[in-house]
Amino acid sequence: MNAGGAVDTDTHVAPASLADLAPYLPAYWRDYVEGAALRLDPTQAGAYPPGAVTDPAPADVATLRAQVLDVPAPGGTPVDVAVLSATSAFDVSRNPYYDAALCRALNDWVTATFLDHDPRLRGSIAVPSGDPEAAVEEIHRRAGDPRFVEVVLPVRGHDHRYGHRRFLPVFEAIAEHGLVAGLHAWGRAGSAATTTGFTHTYLQDYLAQGQIAQGQLTSLVVEGVLGRLPALRVVVAECGFSWLPPLLWRLDKEWKGIWREVPWVTRPPSEYLREQVRLTSTPAHLPADPDELAEALEILDPASLVLYAGDHPHVHGDGTERLLAALGPADRAAVLGGTARTFLLERGAPAPPPGTRSPTTRPHRREEAPR
Amino acid sequence: MTTVSAPGTHAPAEGPGPAAPRPAGRRPRTAVVDADIHPAVVPARLAVELPAPWRRRYERFGVRGAPPPAIYPRVRNGGMRADAHPSSGPPGSDLGLLREQLLDAYDLVAGVLIPLQGHTWGAEEPAYAAALCRALNDIQVADFLDPEPRLRASICIAHESPEHAVAEIERRAGDPRFVQVLFPSGSHLPVADAKYRPIYAAAAAAGLPIGMHLGGTEGHRGDGWPSFYLEQHGWYGNAMAMALTSLVAGGVFDELPDLRLVLVEGGITWLPSLLWGLDSGWAVFRDDVPGLHRPPSEIVREHCWFTTQPIDEPENLAHLATTLRHAGLTDRILFASDYPHWDFDDPVTALRVLPADVRRPIMARNAAALYGVDLPGDAP
Amino acid sequence: MKVAVMGADELAPGEHRVVQVGRRSIGIFRVGDEYHALADHCPHQGGPLCRGRAAPLAVAGAPGEVALDPDRVFVACPWHGWEYDVTTGRSYFGPGEAPVRSYATEVVAVDPATGRVPGPYVADTYAVTVEDRVVVVDTAARRPTDPEETA
Repeated sequence: MNAGGAVDTDTHVAPASLADLAPYLPAYWRDYVEGAALRLDPTQAGAYPPGAVTDPAPADVATLRAQVLDVPAPGGTPVDVAVLSATSAFDVSRNPYYDAALCRALNDWVTATFLDHDPRLRGSIAVPSGDPEAAVEEIHRRAGDPRFVEVVLPVRGHDHRYGHRRFLPVFEAIAEHGLVAGLHAWGRAGSAATTTGFTHTYLQDYLAQGQIAQGQLTSLVVEGVLGRLPALRVVVAECGFSWLPPLLWRLDKEWKGIWREVPWVTRPPSEYLREQVRLTSTPAHLPADPDELAEALEILDPASLVLYAGDHPHVHGDGTERLLAALGPADRAAVLGGTARTFLLERGAPAPPPGTRSPTTRPHRREEAPR
Repeated sequence: MTTVSAPGTHAPAEGPGPAAPRPAGRRPRTAVVDADIHPAVVPARLAVELPAPWRRRYERFGVRGAPPPAIYPRVRNGGMRADAHPSSGPPGSDLGLLREQLLDAYDLVAGVLIPLQGHTWGAEEPAYAAALCRALNDIQVADFLDPEPRLRASICIAHESPEHAVAEIERRAGDPRFVQVLFPSGSHLPVADAKYRPIYAAAAAAGLPIGMHLGGTEGHRGDGWPSFYLEQHGWYGNAMAMALTSLVAGGVFDELPDLRLVLVEGGITWLPSLLWGLDSGWAVFRDDVPGLHRPPSEIVREHCWFTTQPIDEPENLAHLATTLRHAGLTDRILFASDYPHWDFDDPVTALRVLPADVRRPIMARNAAALYGVDLPGDAP
Repeated sequence: MKVAVMGADELAPGEHRVVQVGRRSIGIFRVGDEYHALADHCPHQGGPLCRGRAAPLAVAGAPGEVALDPDRVFVACPWHGWEYDVTTGRSYFGPGEAPVRSYATEVVAVDPATGRVPGPYVADTYAVTVEDRVVVVDTAARRPTDPEETA
């Protein structure tokens, strides 16, 4: 592995139709699909309408090579590792048994179609996220294959946030195998994206991914999952990242006042999140003004936080290119691959030890109170 | 004062002890206008103002909407400043204590009342909601505005019944002490829905801003319900961000060019990231929002105001000032104490986290300009 | 200056009260048979700290495994609920700006009793003695601002 190459931490593959998965589905489920005239929605229930993609997600390795692996990252750095996101099962069914069968077939398909054909590829394990027991079973089944580095969960989707106790076995299994928990944009379209229901515009639905991701990260730290599993690493994919600092400020301040409710959170929430969470670079929602961009990046510290993602074939504008162009060489190398190599690709990599603090911030003392 | 009966817990022996006068040095050196004060109305007081048949209904069956303590436990003193309980009634129900702890203690030039009971009452059955909100407004006038000239008020409306809401706005618009129309961030439908636009239009026609405060009947849909108050409240700015996104993406401001919106108690520092996302998304998804003809950040900076409480206190305070500057509307930020809630921000000390040049206009001038308040020293 | 503020039996174990000593407002706390005195002033925003609720420290071995530690009593400011150890005035919100000013990478010791990193805020404390069953506060002999620093 070329240490100087880019790691694309979020690139999409999707079966062109359920027929692609038929060889991996047991007879009952093949009949179920046929009898119910089920299909895989190419827009993934509105997540990826034609106006938000350049192409269908690759369904074969030749297309993936041509569109992703053999195309350099912005700035010309060749891609030498890509992590596949297969999210086709995110919004398929609430039948937990079909969900489990479909995820299992999808993982078989990713293995046979991509992982077996190109050594640059790594996989994300699709799991039936509505049924934690079945999800754990699927994680155990795949964990022996070192090419799977991540378990991918829909960021949007359930009646409970992921910090809830019902999901604890899933995160324990992820940590046990040294995998990464990936929270990926979109999910169960039957669950409205906002507190006041379904959105009227794609634009709002799209931006809600980051707002929902903030709910999930808040949940993981407050409900104690990150503290209980200090080796657990989390990657938030395709939800943006520039919203993180204000969330950390708010959480830290509120924790000072109401930690008694959650006494297992013994450190400021930002410390758990800065240590155990990384976010993919795309979409990069950043200021247009170059001076403001530099200031925003100083606050964000992307070198320790952000992982490069091409997110092919989704359309997000030029934010990622502008992010990379605005970084110095060392920080750019960290975002392009350095951070991902240790945080995401290395199975079982430990999260940084507790108590370490970012060297990038310098305190600015509050003005003295008049006596 | 909270009383605690469980053995092994510690409670003050005799209430809060002797009242300590606030040292003179606590008085702010500059004028203060407070954009978020929460009065409370006790049931017996409300019942007196309700006509038949609503009084009997209220006394015997109450209201259907569940207020915040039923939706989530507010783990600090039921959501209140522990030292803000009057001798009888809930915090915010006694003008005397409000004067002592806020208006006089900080020599406020003016303060805006925001009765959160309107958030749930406004979603009741239409005629009942209208009666409840009308009574609430009458009580604001009789119990707060008439005896206390420093106070201003928000018009509480039956927000889920727009015809009633519009009528109430028109009824109160002639009283200059009502300076805005209250609307919750949590409504039954997205806030940009066509259903609510007559309310926004009536407010704009009356020259009144919409004061959108967190709360109402919101749920947790895509992200699931939080289990803890810290989880709920730490994330809460996003509920306001979602409401603002709905209004901007839904084209409400372009339809109503005179509409002004004050986002109260929802935070501010999330705004720059949201504006960057809105502008970026607008540029690439133009066909999705054909009614939006310019970058959404321009629309927000033209139509929106924000309040400070709860102010962020990042470890590196320079980051806070930078982030507010990135929002691009520091002349639209209003100081708010949130009295008498548990996370009250002190008018003297809370905004020391900001540099003086940013803080000064926030303390009074921005709100005075928006709400039409005369500041001491202003030319008559 | 030593000032007698109350009879020792006026507070039951676990109770506290605010007394006025000249211009000072001081909270007197009884923990078991020990008495402690804190300035009625929260270092955060200047709230009347000692008008708040005092309670034993909440601890948790794991999420949901919650308990109270009766040996550590904290008072919560009635504004914002920030909590301070009534025996030391110390907060446990993380290292913050004090005592370490530099933000180079560092490892901060965790207080074994609370499982938390001490700092940054410390409420002012006063020396308290009980003489002939009368609680006496010494307003002159203020303890060091950060007792564990100088210990």
